[in-house]
Amino acid sequence: MDALRQIFFQECEEQLAELETGLLEIQSGGSDPEIVNAVFRAVHSIKGGAGAFALEDLVRFAHVFETVLDEVRKGKLAASEHVLAIMLRAADVLADLVRVARDGGSVDDARIGTATDELASLSGAPAAAHGGASETEAEEEDFAFTPVAVAFPAFDEVATEPEPAVNEFTITFKPHASLYSSANEPVVLLRELERLGEMSVACDVTEVPLLTDLDAEGSYLAWTITLKTTHCEDDVRGIFEFVDGDCDLTIEGTAGVSAAGEDEIEALLRRIREEAEAPVEDAASETIAVETAVIEAAADEFSSTDEAVAAPAPVHDAKLAIVPAEPLPAAQKAEAPKADKAASGEAAQQTIRVDLDRVDRLMNLVGELVINQAMLSQRLAEAGLSRSSDFATGLDEFEQLTRDIQEGVMAIRAQPVKSVFQRMPRLVREVAAATGKKVRLVTEGEGTEVDKTVIERLADPLTHMIRNAIDHGLEKPEVRAANGKREEGLVRLSATHRSGRIVIDIADDGAGINRPRVRAIAEDKGLIPANAQLTDEEIDNLIFLPGFSTASTISDISGRGVGMDVVKRSIQALGGRVSISSRPGEGSTFTLSLPLTLAVLYGMVVTVGDQTLVVPLTSIIETLKPKPGDVHGFGGDSRVIALRNNFVPLIDVGRELGYRTQIVDPGAGVALLVESDGGAQSALLVDAIQGQRQVVIKSLEENYGRVPGIAAATILGDGRVALILDVDAVVAGARNGGLASDNLLALAG
Amino acid sequence: MSLADQLKVLIVDDTTTSRMLVRDGLQELGIKNISFASDGEQGLKHVMSTQTHLVISDFNMPKLDGLGLLRAIRQNGPTQKTPFIMLTGKGDKELVQKAVQFGINNYLTKPFTVPALKTALEAVVGKLK
Repeated sequence: MDALRQIFFQECEEQLAELETGLLEIQSGGSDPEIVNAVFRAVHSIKGGAGAFALEDLVRFAHVFETVLDEVRKGKLAASEHVLAIMLRAADVLADLVRVARDGGSVDDARIGTATDELASLSGAPAAAHGGASETEAEEEDFAFTPVAVAFPAFDEVATEPEPAVNEFTITFKPHASLYSSANEPVVLLRELERLGEMSVACDVTEVPLLTDLDAEGSYLAWTITLKTTHCEDDVRGIFEFVDGDCDLTIEGTAGVSAAGEDEIEALLRRIREEAEAPVEDAASETIAVETAVIEAAADEFSSTDEAVAAPAPVHDAKLAIVPAEPLPAAQKAEAPKADKAASGEAAQQTIRVDLDRVDRLMNLVGELVINQAMLSQRLAEAGLSRSSDFATGLDEFEQLTRDIQEGVMAIRAQPVKSVFQRMPRLVREVAAATGKKVRLVTEGEGTEVDKTVIERLADPLTHMIRNAIDHGLEKPEVRAANGKREEGLVRLSATHRSGRIVIDIADDGAGINRPRVRAIAEDKGLIPANAQLTDEEIDNLIFLPGFSTASTISDISGRGVGMDVVKRSIQALGGRVSISSRPGEGSTFTLSLPLTLAVLYGMVVTVGDQTLVVPLTSIIETLKPKPGDVHGFGGDSRVIALRNNFVPLIDVGRELGYRTQIVDPGAGVALLVESDGGAQSALLVDAIQGQRQVVIKSLEENYGRVPGIAAATILGDGRVALILDVDAVVAGARNGGLASDNLLALAG
Repeated sequence: MSLADQLKVLIVDDTTTSRMLVRDGLQELGIKNISFASDGEQGLKHVMSTQTHLVISDFNMPKLDGLGLLRAIRQNGPTQKTPFIMLTGKGDKELVQKAVQFGINNYLTKPFTVPALKTALEAVVGKLK
């Protein structure tokens, strides 16, 4: 049951997404009846599933919602702006109810009440929703329907009842020599085939050579088979599945007498749909005529086999069950175009649900494969084999394949950003309502794919940035109007792929960043000296500093104790970067650039002491060879390095991580200029650079616990383990006087 | 061999959960031959190409809804009398009435219990065991 529940909630998520998308589509002018139908179906399915799990609250609310949607569907209720606003709110409540049903907790009764009343007021029905379920139940019991028992023959007959379709296939089968060499036997296949139906076989021996010319391992026989079967071609083909490619096989179907061909099905479908569209009375009454006969016949049977039937309702005359023919309501007619559209549209995408663990296991194995392949390449290089040797060529292909497999597996984990983007319209509605602003959200590139984990961890920062864009970015409607802008502010959320990364823009057409104010606040809070010379860009970036918050009053929306620094940190934790561009009076754009996967990273492999470390390439700005004159002591053991009229702290990675205690000569090593939290630059001193490569990330936390200064580990081509440096932690550690002491706290925070 | 052993049932429903619930119910009743379709069109293709003794179908489905499926089955000679049980939600009274017009053999209100499923089934095809 638990597994079923899980599936139900998964489906609920999809239905809720469909519901919201549909409602928004209608709001933006979509008038396709299929949208309304899809929306209705979504709520209906949730109701149906919820009923199965006895989720009474959910069922009740979904029922009221469904009632209103049904009226829209039937054209009794116009989908006006007012109606849609109520329905969107109802969709939010429904989503909450689903979430509560899954995770526990409770939904504010008042909210459900309000939403229910609003919905009820639309459908014109008395707000009987709270007691609605029992009422309908009572109604149903009144409903007189007698099950129509079928003239079911005794089951022996059932078994011998002729199958509806008899197909005749002509199969020619000529094995290749490889079929025999892979231990397959034609006679076994033919026997299998015989089990499907009536079969006649002719063996073609004309190609058998003279004994002197006969190759004992050759293949000379071919068969022509006629098969009469009730099975379909796929079943026949299935028998030859394992010898596919090892034989010449043709299967020609002679359409069976009563086999329902595609054409027949199509014709029937077309007729059904036309009927649904045409004035219905005729069709209905015609059908009724047939059905009366059927039902009467069935009723005779029914009374004669009375004792075998456990009838749920008292047995009436079957005629009573027939309701007078009435014209079908509009809904029925509305379904015709929808069905046509669905039929002519592309086939539904086929998907399977796979446990995430399995994909992750596969991902891990591919990681091993990548490492293994790197090892082989390294051994090959060490063995001094020429690059043109067969072995090297084979290995190149292997490398290519490994990369393809890796990409393939990553593609499995990849998901469109739609799942996160979809949560935003609701957020926008809530924030807009709370701030009294008018906002239109436009999303682009919802289909852009990125790793599932990235998507999951993107939700919080995005939520925060959108909140900020509305709360701080957009002006009040009256201010906008005064400035000659549309009253309705625009927030654009878009995603694209750019050079192997995903780039997400959050743009608003608000007032832009108020630079004098940002500067004043930063000075006020002591984040910058009063006379600092800052470019516009540098001022904009001040909002990412910890402890900066521009909201003068902590509003309910933005003031949750987190600022843009948290956003920046969480994006950096994903190996990403945030940048701003802002024009006064025209708006701001925040750009996030993120890696497509968290499973591999591009790193610079460096030597420190006797250790090999990997520094993520995303944090490295440049590498340089320090000249002795550039390095200056700076109190205690601290040193700075002069870099283009600027001093940046020089951090000896070896000492920081405790690999050595004595001070080394910077001139003997290499400095990596890195950018860490808050945009501060530092130079990391390492002994030597080995190279740049893609490495597979292996978490240490799972098996070992968190190590200060180390983000994760990886396995190099020569089989050694190398640690991946956590640049931010190392820099922060150096600033606070050593990783070992109080930096643990900094990491925990 | 009981009827349950031989009965070939087709479940047509666009919700996986719903299909699985019906399937579990049917299996509990000892029915072994169960096929699935996730919309009316698929259902119709199945019924027209494979021997089917009983169709249990939802109403609301994409492409072709339960009523459309029912009508198509009733209009196609060989399947004209194939027993058809409609799954409905609570309060879908109008729907059931319409379905009766087009010749359902029984209906079953979701959510249902296994005994209710059994009763509904046996009312149409006779004792399962």
